[in-house]
This record gives sequence, C-alpha cells and structure tokens, in this order.
Amino acid sequence: MSEPAIKIEGLHFSYGKKQVLKGVNLEVPKGSIFGFLGRNGTGKTTLIKTMLGLQKPKSGKCLVGGMDSFTQTLDIRKRIGFMAEDQQMYGWMKVKQIIKWVAGFYPNWDYEFSDKLIVKFGLSLDAKVKELSKGQNSSLALLLALGHRPDIVILDDPTLGLDPIARKDFLRHVIELLQSDGVTVFFSSHLLYEIEPVADYIAILDKGVIVKSCKTEELRESVRRFILTPSSNTNFSEIPGILDTFQTGNTISVTIEDCTEQKREKIKSMSSNGTQENELNLDEIFEAYVIGNKGLESIESKI
Amino acid sequence: MPIYRQIIDQIKYQVATGMLKEGDKVPSVRELAAKLAVNQNTILKVYNELCRENVLKIERGDGTYVSSSKQNISVSERKKAVANSLREVATLAVQLDLPLEQVSELLEKEYKTILSQKAGSLKKDSKEK
Repeated sequence: MSEPAIKIEGLHFSYGKKQVLKGVNLEVPKGSIFGFLGRNGTGKTTLIKTMLGLQKPKSGKCLVGGMDSFTQTLDIRKRIGFMAEDQQMYGWMKVKQIIKWVAGFYPNWDYEFSDKLIVKFGLSLDAKVKELSKGQNSSLALLLALGHRPDIVILDDPTLGLDPIARKDFLRHVIELLQSDGVTVFFSSHLLYEIEPVADYIAILDKGVIVKSCKTEELRESVRRFILTPSSNTNFSEIPGILDTFQTGNTISVTIEDCTEQKREKIKSMSSNGTQENELNLDEIFEAYVIGNKGLESIESKI
Repeated sequence: MPIYRQIIDQIKYQVATGMLKEGDKVPSVRELAAKLAVNQNTILKVYNELCRENVLKIERGDGTYVSSSKQNISVSERKKAVANSLREVATLAVQLDLPLEQVSELLEKEYKTILSQKAGSLKKDSKEK
C-alpha cells in the first residue's frame, strides 16, 4: 500500500495538567474520505490543530502528506486545505475581497477554479461576508480552503449549525469536488449518521484515544447486541470486545464489537434459554463505543 | 439497512415499475454519488451488485444501462431469487402470527400495484412517442 496521507503515532497533548490526547494512533489512506467522530470536547479540534502544526504535542509524531506537522508547518499549509470549526471571517469584507485576500497567501491559487466555485455555490461577489447565511458562509469557507487545489483537505465539523438541506449540499460538494479528484478528505463530526453515507473510513475518538478505526461498512456489520438470560456462573469477561452490558431483571444485553461466529457461539453457550441477536443503529453504535461500560461495571439491576 | 442496500432496492423498484426501462442509461457513478450525496465507492458497489444480478449492464467506455437480458435467466434461477426474498417475508409473518391467506393477499396486492404502475408508465411512454 502507498504511504498514508496522514499518519499519527503515539500523539500526546496536554493543556497544562489536563491531558487531552493520550496516545493517538491513526492512519488516513490516500484519496479516502475519512470521518473522524467524537463527542463535543473529546479533543477532535485539538488533534486537528496539532496536525496543522498550530500547537506542539508533548510527544508523538504527526505526518501530513509525508511532512512533519511541527517542523514543516509552512510546507504543510501549502499542500493542505483547512476549514475551521465555526470559521470566523472578516464580516466587513466583500466576498471578492476576502477571496483576493486569502489568495494572496498562496502563490499557487487557482483563480479559474475559485470563479467556478463562486457560480457553483451561488455566491455573489459583492455580498458582504456578514450578510451571508450560515450555509453560504460555509460554502465560502470551503471555497477559501480549496482555492489552492490542495491534495489533502481537513474539515473541522464543517456542517455544524447547518440545516439538513444545506448540510446535504455541503456533503454533495465534498463528493463532487474532492472525491472525484482523488483528494484526501479528513472530516470531523459528532454525527455518525451524517458521516456514514460519505465516509470510506471512520475513526472514533474518545477520552483521548482512538477507540475504533475501520472501514465504514465494517462498523455496521461487526457490532451486535445479544439479549439473553445467563445461566449461573457466567463470566462475560471471557469474551473479548465487549462494549456495553446492561441488565434488566434477569435479562442481560451484551453489545460486542468484531462479532465473529466464535464469539456468537460463546455467548449462546452462556444463555439458559436461547439468545436474541440484534443489529444496532448508528447512534447506538456510537453510544456503545463512547459511553458503553465495556462490561467492567458489575452487572446488577439498574431499573 | 446499509445505504448501498437501500439504493439497490430503489433501483430495482424503478426497474420493476417501468420508471427505468430496458436499455435506459443510468447516471454515471460520479453523477449519482453527487446527486445522492453518497460516497462514490458505495455507488460503484451498487452498480457492480446490480450487474451481477443482471439488472444493469456496463458497456465499457460508454456507460451503464438497464439490462435487457432478463429473459436469458432460466425460470428456475428466477424462482430461486424470488424464493430467497420470500423467506424473509415468511419468517416475519410466522413471527407476527399472520395467517398464510392474509400474507398471500398482501403479496397479490403488491404484485398488482407494481404491474399497474408498469402498465401506466408504458402507456405514458407510447403517448409521448
């Protein structure tokens, strides 16, 4: 396989005493759309800022396009496009002024392309930035991130605050403009259902580490929930990959990842009267990873 | 249901009801991906699967078309394909305690609806011509 577009190894980062990233490992394949998920405040933006070289990690390595985030920051800026979470732009500028201003930073700015995007996004060159709608604002931010034709694009929660139609339009642009051209897209969000249709891969960040990183379709296929009444002396900790356990009365539901035939048999053998196997919806899968008790909590009645 | 499954079902439905006709060209992978805001690889998977099932046909370097080779599939093959889907229906019906007569009734109704839709779209077509 070719060298990944983004490679992160053992990355640690702290704000003072507060540890935010506790050994993040991640590989983003070239040309993929990579969905990066995590709840608010889990360190998504911190990781992105570190990737861009805006802050220095305590330890670990971060390569973007084969370049070191911290020592080759300027080279990285030339090659990647970045759209910040809730991007603030000078409200008093007109659309054409802000484009000219941003383009000035990039010797390789593609004016023909940015003109094309103006038309495609339905932006008016003479509109003031502060008068744009939220959807137009994010279109403009995307335009500013893409004008120098980067081969890696990092989008930090780009659809935050957009209505469902504007959101879909935005994702459509990502697919049409970026995937078609083989650009690598690293896209953070806190909504799994939004990421699923567009992403080739998904990674989930929780409590400072990547708790899951896989192909999008695998995520849906490999997580299963079993409902059973356990026979006495069952020890669920024998099964690897438990995400969550929950007991009501004498019935227990067990959610596991990477469900194989072997694990399935094992669980069936623990039941006193048969098991029910369910697929989970995307919200439930995300929940199982980020707030599941990993089966560590002693199982006792909670209701 | 995974997204690629949903899209497969929709295309099959459109073919069955005559909204898409034999020989019609379907959008390119890029176009459909952009239209639905879905990853291109997902659409690629959908088209490959539908080709395998003889619903679509890829003409190299030209595009993807609704296949007209349905008649080439033997009756037993076609029966097998239908039986596979009916197993799910049967399982659900037994689980929900729905008697066979009522299930047959439902099947008949759905079958006729689709046929009449198909007839409707054929009629509209000949008018346009």
